[in-house]
Amino acid sequence: MSMKKNYVVETIRKAQMVELLAKGRRVDERSPDEHRPLTIQTGVIQKANGSAIVTLGNTEVLAGVKVATGAPFPDTPDKGLLVVNAEILPLASPYAEPGPPSEEAIELARVVDRGVRESEMVDLTKLCIIEGKTVYTVFVDVNIMNVDGNLFDATSYAVVSALRTAKMKKYAVENDKVVVKDDVVPVPVEKTPVSVTMARIGDVLVVDPSSEEEAAMDMRITITTDDDGNVCASQKGEASTITPAHVLEAVDTSIRVGKAIRAQIIEATK
Amino acid sequence: MPMIERKQVIPGDVIARGNHRYGSYIEKRGDELVALRVGLAELSQEGVRLNPLTGPYIPRAEDQVIGKVVDINGFGWVVDINSCFDGFLPASFVFGREFSPATHDLSSKFSVGDVIGARIESFDRSRDPQLSIRGHGYGKISEGEIIKISPAKVPRLIGRRGSMINLISERTGCDVQVGQNGVVVVMGPPDGIAKASSVIKMIDRETHGASLAARVEEYLGGGADGS
Repeated sequence: MSMKKNYVVETIRKAQMVELLAKGRRVDERSPDEHRPLTIQTGVIQKANGSAIVTLGNTEVLAGVKVATGAPFPDTPDKGLLVVNAEILPLASPYAEPGPPSEEAIELARVVDRGVRESEMVDLTKLCIIEGKTVYTVFVDVNIMNVDGNLFDATSYAVVSALRTAKMKKYAVENDKVVVKDDVVPVPVEKTPVSVTMARIGDVLVVDPSSEEEAAMDMRITITTDDDGNVCASQKGEASTITPAHVLEAVDTSIRVGKAIRAQIIEATK
Repeated sequence: MPMIERKQVIPGDVIARGNHRYGSYIEKRGDELVALRVGLAELSQEGVRLNPLTGPYIPRAEDQVIGKVVDINGFGWVVDINSCFDGFLPASFVFGREFSPATHDLSSKFSVGDVIGARIESFDRSRDPQLSIRGHGYGKISEGEIIKISPAKVPRLIGRRGSMINLISERTGCDVQVGQNGVVVVMGPPDGIAKASSVIKMIDRETHGASLAARVEEYLGGGADGS
């Protein structure tokens, strides 16, 4: 049996999408700047320091945070470590296979990591215990449980929600030694970055593409903004080009759509 | 008078005991005939049948299906037929006996993403189902809206001798092509397509229960679209 590689959208289905988009409509009856229903559930893994399950339409993502201690990187001796890693479970999609993370999963983890890092969501300097020697290490592991398009945003919301609710053990320095204390403190979260991914189908940008729309898209762009509406990270994907006008439109859309999503994340992680 | 006994079964249920003829989705274990699917079991003098209520499309020779081309290799087209098996349409069935990979360009006929109507030529589970487009009404479908329904519900959408499908196409002014694999293509005026697609989705959703035909009739209202 031949192995399925990628989702292929029917040519006539794509034609229908382009035709509808010219009238400002989408095949699933959303408007171009409307995302699918978003749900956020936190504290779903007991033994993790923080966790969240996010659903965005049929896309489902689980994120877990583990905080430990370790040595800092030599070039940032006064900063803690933050690492985001993502894997797509074989059961999540007919196109996912077991094994080491795919190229797609690596890009996903990097884009989400960049949004969290560059927004300075977590104050890494507060994660320093002994400069140059011991720092907190924050690992965020993401499992994609169901794939139906726009893994970037679903993963970003799950990671941000898990981090916002994460608690870590307190460490103190006594006689130059690191000692574990009994009490827990929240991971020092300063901001709430929100990523918004848009796909260009024909000449229109649509927010939160479904897997069908992803199969039909010419280009995609992910823009992450912070609470003050600053752009802190972006990633463009697929072979086709983007015009300066579309970049500006994407930034505006990301800020506007991201605002409501940020409010929802903050509400769910109170 | 032939007596037909119907009952709902789930996998593992014993439908009958003893020597009966039995059809697909039923397994004989010793003396017992056991259901392998969720469905309606029928016991009659002719034997035991099981009509599944859910499940993927299992290809059968002579079925008409609608699929999409997902890959092209040197010898033919790989077609997604909404099943756990990929269909294969050999190039020699399209270009004829004189087909040669060196002289014929397969993508000139069908390219990836094209939707085609085809017939299952053969299928025996040791190989992928072979497709053919010989015959009237097969080949590339270049317009229309695609709707996917559960393959188990295709008989209800078609109706007795095509009554249901004729009713829908008559009332909406659309041409409705139904593949045995649960893929439906509707062609016609835009509001007719919208009406047909919503009624087809309704049939898929609310198949079971009394008087489906009456409900469809009510849904569609009287008269052809625009008349």
